[in-house]
Amino acid sequence: MSDRPPTVYAVDDEPAPLKAVARLLRTAGWNVATFSSPREFLERIDPAAPGCLVLDMSMPELTGLELQQALEARGCALPLVFLTGRSDIPMSVKAMKRGAVDFLTKPVDREDLLVAVRRAVERDTAARNERAEVAAVQEQLATLTPREREVLEHVISGKLNKQVAADLGTVEKTVKVHRARVMEKMRAASLADLVRLAQRAGVRPA
Amino acid sequence: VGQLSNALLVVYLADVAISVWRRGDRRRAVTVVGSMLLFIAAAATHAALVNHGKVRSPYIVIFFFLGLILAMGYELNRNVLGSREMARKLQTSAEELRDSEERLRLAAKAASIGIWAWDIPRNDPGASSMTRAVRKSGESEQIGFGRFLSSVHPDDREGMQESIEKAVAERTEFEREYRVQLPDGQTRWMAARGAVERDSAGAAVRMRGVSLDVTPQKEVELELLQQRSELAHLARVTMVGELSGSLAHELNQPLTAILSNAQAAQQLLAVDAPDLGEVREILGDIVAEDKRAGEVIQRLRLLLRKGEVNRQPLDVSEVVEDVLKIMRSDLVNHRVTVAVAPSPDLPAVSGDRVQLQQVLLNLVLNGCDAMRRTAPGERRLYVRTERNGDGSVHVLVADRGCGIPGEKLGGVFEPFFTTKPHGLGLGLAVCRSIIRAHGGEIWATNNVPDAAGATFHFSLPAAAARS
Repeated sequence: MSDRPPTVYAVDDEPAPLKAVARLLRTAGWNVATFSSPREFLERIDPAAPGCLVLDMSMPELTGLELQQALEARGCALPLVFLTGRSDIPMSVKAMKRGAVDFLTKPVDREDLLVAVRRAVERDTAARNERAEVAAVQEQLATLTPREREVLEHVISGKLNKQVAADLGTVEKTVKVHRARVMEKMRAASLADLVRLAQRAGVRPA
Repeated sequence: VGQLSNALLVVYLADVAISVWRRGDRRRAVTVVGSMLLFIAAAATHAALVNHGKVRSPYIVIFFFLGLILAMGYELNRNVLGSREMARKLQTSAEELRDSEERLRLAAKAASIGIWAWDIPRNDPGASSMTRAVRKSGESEQIGFGRFLSSVHPDDREGMQESIEKAVAERTEFEREYRVQLPDGQTRWMAARGAVERDSAGAAVRMRGVSLDVTPQKEVELELLQQRSELAHLARVTMVGELSGSLAHELNQPLTAILSNAQAAQQLLAVDAPDLGEVREILGDIVAEDKRAGEVIQRLRLLLRKGEVNRQPLDVSEVVEDVLKIMRSDLVNHRVTVAVAPSPDLPAVSGDRVQLQQVLLNLVLNGCDAMRRTAPGERRLYVRTERNGDGSVHVLVADRGCGIPGEKLGGVFEPFFTTKPHGLGLGLAVCRSIIRAHGGEIWATNNVPDAAGATFHFSLPAAAARS
């Protein structure tokens, strides 16, 4: 998990609104970094940096939607807040479907912008926490032996120890031992807990 | 004494002969003086013969006298007959003259033509008289030059006087259209044309000419001009409609900056020890952005204005800049990049800024439209201004679109020619009418074989240098 403070990245090809929006966010206490072109942003962005992106929709060279795609392709999951001069519904639907947090119309009111930015940063923090958790579970998962992994897959599909033993061609007692070890390695307090962790780590029931 | 009187008589006769000769009647001079001389010579010879006793006869009975009287009688008769003949001829020609004047008057009346002659005095044109056939009654009246000028519409008076004085001074033909105000308050359009007559020394003595009532033609002409201006305005409004999204965006940018700046300043001032330096900076930015928004509105207002055509010396490169400012966000939206190559030594043209903006807006919009199917990275527009060899100004707008099918190249400027599903097909037709009204030409070419797309050109004559 990253301890870096979140930053709001603002991208707009027009200097005046860019400067003003950055100023507004700074006075609200945010760390702000500004970029005057999407390309400049793509070149300098660190995918690991937490925060969110405030993006003007219509820019020369690269539209907001294209930048969204480019970020996705780079594995950068920064939440986006779009600013747009026109209320273009099809475009906003497209952006939201791709995971934009908000779609604000210029000129944007301080409260609307701050709410959107806060929500975006929260979503980023949550996503980062989520990703950290998944990474941790996967780490635990990696410590399982192949046999323990098999037992896990069968257990989370809701089978009794007896059925698992039959499926794996072993005895119920051995399954019990494996199961206890899995519970311990995965740090699961109950079967329900184990199912949840396995699901999060993307383990498919047998 | 006899010799002296004879000599005096000869001198007198010579004088008569010369003066009659000078008056142009040579035949009579020869006849009269010749016969007198003959008579004197014959009388002197006769007297000498009688004195010497060679001839015996009384002085009075001289056959010479007889012949002479006969000859004079004949001459006199001939003159009497001649003068009667001449009087008859004179009467006929006077009738013919009246007839011809009447015909001319009728023709003039039928064609609403006034015929006038103005005797130009040496120093004082104001006191001279001008005969003018009054248009409606067909009667002539004598009016002074001053009174004639006072009947001319105040707006045209100065120009009229200038043209007349110029024609007199330069002895050129005089031609001008002007308005007159009739006593009943009606305004009529007149066209006058005249020529200056000179005396043998070359000084202007008279100006003759005709005046024609051209009110109906002028009204049609003005109506046409009005319609053309309204059509241009309509096309402009349509175009601004197409650009409205883009213009709204252009306004939104400064408004966004202003709102965010103002709210940031409010936030800054909400703390106990506000950073006044930053607040000052913010206020400066707000002022600048507000001005920018004002400029956008000003440009828009100018385009939408339904005003008279206002010709002034213009730098076409500046008009190109104006247009690209107006179109900025539309170009961004269309993903079109524009390269501009303005000529450094472009002569000014005499033009209406708004109408020329309209032409360029049209060409740039069309260029963007033509590149809809071009790959975004290839959507490049090239605008160039240059000076032609003959001093005129050439402007070209080249796109990288689909080009114009060869057989349609000539027709794109015709009204109702359109390739757009919702186009009226008036844009280019209006462009042509604007450019022609400016004395220029507009045409289109395809860029093949060097590149794809089409190029629209127009040329405008350079504004006449002010002397």
